[in-house]
Amino acid sequence: MKKILTSLISLLLITGCASVAQERSLNNLPDNAFSVKIPEGWWKPKHIDKYLITKDGVFLQYVLIQQRPIDRPYRNTKKKLNKGMLPQEAAGVIIDEIASDRRIYNFNVIENAPAIIDGSKGFKILFTYKDKKGSAFKTLYYGFISGDSFYNLRYNAAIRHYFEKDITAFEQILSSFKVVKDAAALSIALDR
Amino acid sequence: MRYLASIIAVCCLVAGCATSRPVPVTQALSASAEEQMLWSRAQEEQDTINCSGVLYQDAEIENYLNQIAKKLHTNSISPDISFQIKVVKDPNLNAFAFPNGVIYIHTGILARMDNEAQLAALLAHEMVHCTHRHSMRALRSLKDRTQAKTATAQNLAQLLGISGSIASISGYTRELETEADRVGLDLAVKANYDPREVLKLFELLKQEIEIEGIEEPYFFGTHPNVRQRIENVNNWLAEKYRGKIAGIKNRDVFQSRISRLVLDNARLDLRQGRFLVAQRTVEKFLALKPDDARAYFLLGEIFRQRCRQDDAAAAIKYYEKSISLNPSFPEPHKAMGLIHYKDGEKRLAKKYFESCLLLSPDIADKAYIQGYLKLCVTNGEG
Repeated sequence: MKKILTSLISLLLITGCASVAQERSLNNLPDNAFSVKIPEGWWKPKHIDKYLITKDGVFLQYVLIQQRPIDRPYRNTKKKLNKGMLPQEAAGVIIDEIASDRRIYNFNVIENAPAIIDGSKGFKILFTYKDKKGSAFKTLYYGFISGDSFYNLRYNAAIRHYFEKDITAFEQILSSFKVVKDAAALSIALDR
Repeated sequence: MRYLASIIAVCCLVAGCATSRPVPVTQALSASAEEQMLWSRAQEEQDTINCSGVLYQDAEIENYLNQIAKKLHTNSISPDISFQIKVVKDPNLNAFAFPNGVIYIHTGILARMDNEAQLAALLAHEMVHCTHRHSMRALRSLKDRTQAKTATAQNLAQLLGISGSIASISGYTRELETEADRVGLDLAVKANYDPREVLKLFELLKQEIEIEGIEEPYFFGTHPNVRQRIENVNNWLAEKYRGKIAGIKNRDVFQSRISRLVLDNARLDLRQGRFLVAQRTVEKFLALKPDDARAYFLLGEIFRQRCRQDDAAAAIKYYEKSISLNPSFPEPHKAMGLIHYKDGEKRLAKKYFESCLLLSPDIADKAYIQGYLKLCVTNGEG
């Protein structure tokens, strides 16, 4: 009886670990026209269908990378990005979008400056905010316009402890970021 | 989340078809455990709002709003409620009341108003939600409908706490909203305000909703719909207030008190990309203060950011006006630099960027401006 119980417990542990390992993988990252190198230990939550990865859970930190059509409307501002915009103007639209979001409290821009991302002229915005429960977060948001797309990479983390802890990992991801112009080469270039 | 969604669904069902059980309004406030719970929940939500950075901080405006509320409160049925009016930085047309007498008004609705009589009508409406205990009545109605299915008193208490707060923000039943309109109008008339102004307020808001194609907000919401509300007010004016149309409006006092808020709200409209509304609001402000450099700069920003044909020329005109009114205001210099930089006029861009940095060496966009200046020089136009 004791043997059976031990076996059952072991089986439970093994299957439990297996399912966690399966969840904490980079499988199911959506295909995109960019490539990045993701450091060890980061994984994609199953239930999110975006290019979003985390290390300790999305409420503690995440990196989100997006390529969106330049003319796609935003949720909180009617302003739109356009091809002829300077990075500073694009940053202004993004700040207005975030500042108009009713789920964002105590929004405060710490830095708004030019940046180069994959050789393109863009911007970086560093800001803090709180959610409705009063939890404080810090976000580093990089963005640039290329052709008909707006690319953005953002690192969001709890201010306390987590933001500083994983900023280096985000910088590695950012420096490895490449827009893949040839869609056929996409699957080869995706370096996970 | 699912729990909250079910409660909202229950609320919607109740709001849609229930007739709320009357609460004796003379009964002492906070007498029952239910009401105390409601107030406690309201306080929690107010704490969240008050700490969220969304409050518009202007003691003078708050004092003014509280004075109007006090004047209206003289004739209310529930003198033991202590009203407190606060302003929320939000360009959307809304106002909401918590059962404990704390009322929040958005800058958006204040900025659209024309006079004190319209403000009084709005405040009186919200105050009636408190004095006539509309949250409590909504909750009792909810309780009647959910009691049988609720296992414990504690569950019910949670249900009441959450749904009560929701009701105060998202609106009440048609019956309760009509009561707030009717009694609110009466309070405004008793305080000697012109009752016709409530109609003008409705019309003003209706126009804007049509221009912007926005959803009707709560104050102007669908319970009952706006046409019905206008019709109701027209009927009351004809029947009850015939001959009492010469009340006070206090237009000048109102407009001078809220002028700064009007301009601040135009910035919020611009942030949301509501260019036409922002433009009208700034023009309204300029009618009061025609020599304000910040207002001309904001008009310039509206045109520059809208990016339609000929907008750049209009923006330049307003920036130049702003600079002529206040040459030491750095923002229009920066904006002029941007327009000329994008237009390839690097020499002019350089001149404005340099003057901007001279006026404000630590301006927030300094890093961008320094980058533009480098390019102006390397392009050989320095």
